[in-house]
Amino acid sequence: MILSERLKKIFSAQKPKTKFVAYFVGCHPTYEKSLDIIKASIDNGTSIVEIGYSTSEASAEGPIIKAAQDRVIANKSSLKDVINLAKEVRDYNKDVGIILMGYISNLFMFPIPNFIEEIKKVDIDGVLVVDAPHELKEENTLRENLKKNDIAFIKLVAPTTPNERLKKICDMGSGYIYCLNYSGTTGVKSVDLSQVKKMVEKIKNYTNLPVCSGFGVKTPQNAKEIASTGVEGVIVGTAFVDYIEKNLDDTNLSKNLGKNIKEFTNILN
Amino acid sequence: MSTEKIKNSLKNGPDELGYYGEGEKARGGFASGETLMPILKNLQDAFEDAIKDKSFIDKFHYYCKHWINRPSPLYFAENLTKKIGGAKIYFKSEHLNHTGSHKVTNCLFQTLLALRMNKKRVLVESGAGAHFSAAAATCSKFSLPILGVMGNTDIRKVNSNIIKAKHYGAKLEAVDGSLKEAITHVLKMWTNDPDSYYLCGSAVATAPFPRIVQYAQSIIGKEIREQCLKHENKLPNEIHACLGGGSNSIGAFHEFLDDKEVKLVGVEGKTSAALSKGTIGIMQGMKTYMIQSKDGSVAEQTKDLPSGINYFSVGPQHSYLKDIGRAEYTFATDDEILDTYKLVARTEGICSALEPMAAVCETIKRAKGKPKDYIIVTSLCGRGEKDLDVIEKLRGSDFE
Repeated sequence: MILSERLKKIFSAQKPKTKFVAYFVGCHPTYEKSLDIIKASIDNGTSIVEIGYSTSEASAEGPIIKAAQDRVIANKSSLKDVINLAKEVRDYNKDVGIILMGYISNLFMFPIPNFIEEIKKVDIDGVLVVDAPHELKEENTLRENLKKNDIAFIKLVAPTTPNERLKKICDMGSGYIYCLNYSGTTGVKSVDLSQVKKMVEKIKNYTNLPVCSGFGVKTPQNAKEIASTGVEGVIVGTAFVDYIEKNLDDTNLSKNLGKNIKEFTNILN
Repeated sequence: MSTEKIKNSLKNGPDELGYYGEGEKARGGFASGETLMPILKNLQDAFEDAIKDKSFIDKFHYYCKHWINRPSPLYFAENLTKKIGGAKIYFKSEHLNHTGSHKVTNCLFQTLLALRMNKKRVLVESGAGAHFSAAAATCSKFSLPILGVMGNTDIRKVNSNIIKAKHYGAKLEAVDGSLKEAITHVLKMWTNDPDSYYLCGSAVATAPFPRIVQYAQSIIGKEIREQCLKHENKLPNEIHACLGGGSNSIGAFHEFLDDKEVKLVGVEGKTSAALSKGTIGIMQGMKTYMIQSKDGSVAEQTKDLPSGINYFSVGPQHSYLKDIGRAEYTFATDDEILDTYKLVARTEGICSALEPMAAVCETIKRAKGKPKDYIIVTSLCGRGEKDLDVIEKLRGSDFE
């Protein structure tokens, strides 16, 4: 098991009890605003930021994140821009965990060895690739290269994942295990708490890695309920992306979203 | 059907991980989200199990014959042959299948598979609506509810297929865009409802679909072999087929992959010619050639008139066949396709779908000057009713 020192430190800290993980679409709505938003998120108690890079045929995004990604693509912001953005986030804060999250398409074209080189320079803590199961050759290449460079490879598990497969994935993952709260695309369903609880227990049978769960966490109250299932971290994405999309003209967008994020981090403390 | 494998046969299909070819050159794979991975593995197992079950295969063949009206005729296009002056041109008349295209064979096969897996609902994507209307017919026949997804651009073009599907009881969800957007959207719908059955219409997307669709459609090539031997006492010299995702073409080619003397030629639309102009990438579940941006973030918008071949990417087995040089791939323009439509209508009395006219464009080029005993078989994979409005609008005055 590899766990970058920073992620280890984050999860071993006493406070906050449950870590808050915020997902943002990188460069959404623009590069500058995105940077301000992520900074505000860190200032308001976010432990880990997952920064998404965009792909036109992303297969696991609900309509809200899809619209945001389409906006980023229309602005011609690329994975390279998202890595630059991550660099500025790292320059701003040395303690926050930074995860890059997206699809295999962009990494394959980057290509993978150059991608690893770039993110190592920027001091990224981990990578999560939605459509790269361990059956895929490029996943194997990526996993091997990340391991060599002590960068975490965050693996996803779903309610559909059978036990034997779950064990295998837990063995392959590092950093934390991303537990999907439901079978579906981002932000489209509500969470069945008892199901999440069962799943988290199952995951913990197979690994000592921290578990963070996401999808469908819309309100601070939701986050608090999810925290009660025994997860080490709660992930929120769509709710913030939706807020950004609905408040594009707000001149105090990052500040106001920060207040919103504060409500989540307060309740998890 | 024998499932025995001959060593080194190109017909052996993908490996367990869905790859055609090895190492860096491997095409296909499972580039899918975790929610669907266990579902895809189950489907792969259920498929392998089903094709070993004689009663299942017998049932498929029974309905192929009695419901689809297979085998489709291998028809000697005498007038076109005379007009071009060269090779003997045959049409594999897939347009005479029930529902009017080759799509119905795959729909029948996968609907029977869905029933075998005890699935309660079917999801499909469609480009030209041929797959949607065929799937709607099969699902009506076998009493399964079905929901289709199509791009608005295509819905406007092929209204008759949409009406047909509605009459069969299918529901339709429209998305902005065309076939590309429909596929991405249906994969999301499936992720949200993984208990449903995704009836993929072409030899594309994540494993195991390219293999399943190839298996079902390979009946086209098997019939061509039998019929050509009967009519001509030899195999064809060339087989031509159009392709978007490539189910019609892999169906026509597969039987002949080990008959190296038979040339296999696939024809795409000009703007969506992934195999002629694309680069290797990984999108929509598969590693294959595609028309994409340099950084892999965007699947480019393609604009070919025939909706059924207007697809930015292509099935992974075709990418593999191109790389090893077993099949050749080229493309045709909208204008060439429309000209050829008129020629076929006026010489053979066939109102063809626009898609296979892309293949006939190439057939005409290659037939010219060839000896009279040189045989080209071209798959005529759909009939033209769906395209009449568009053709009238663009070229109506040409026919007056």
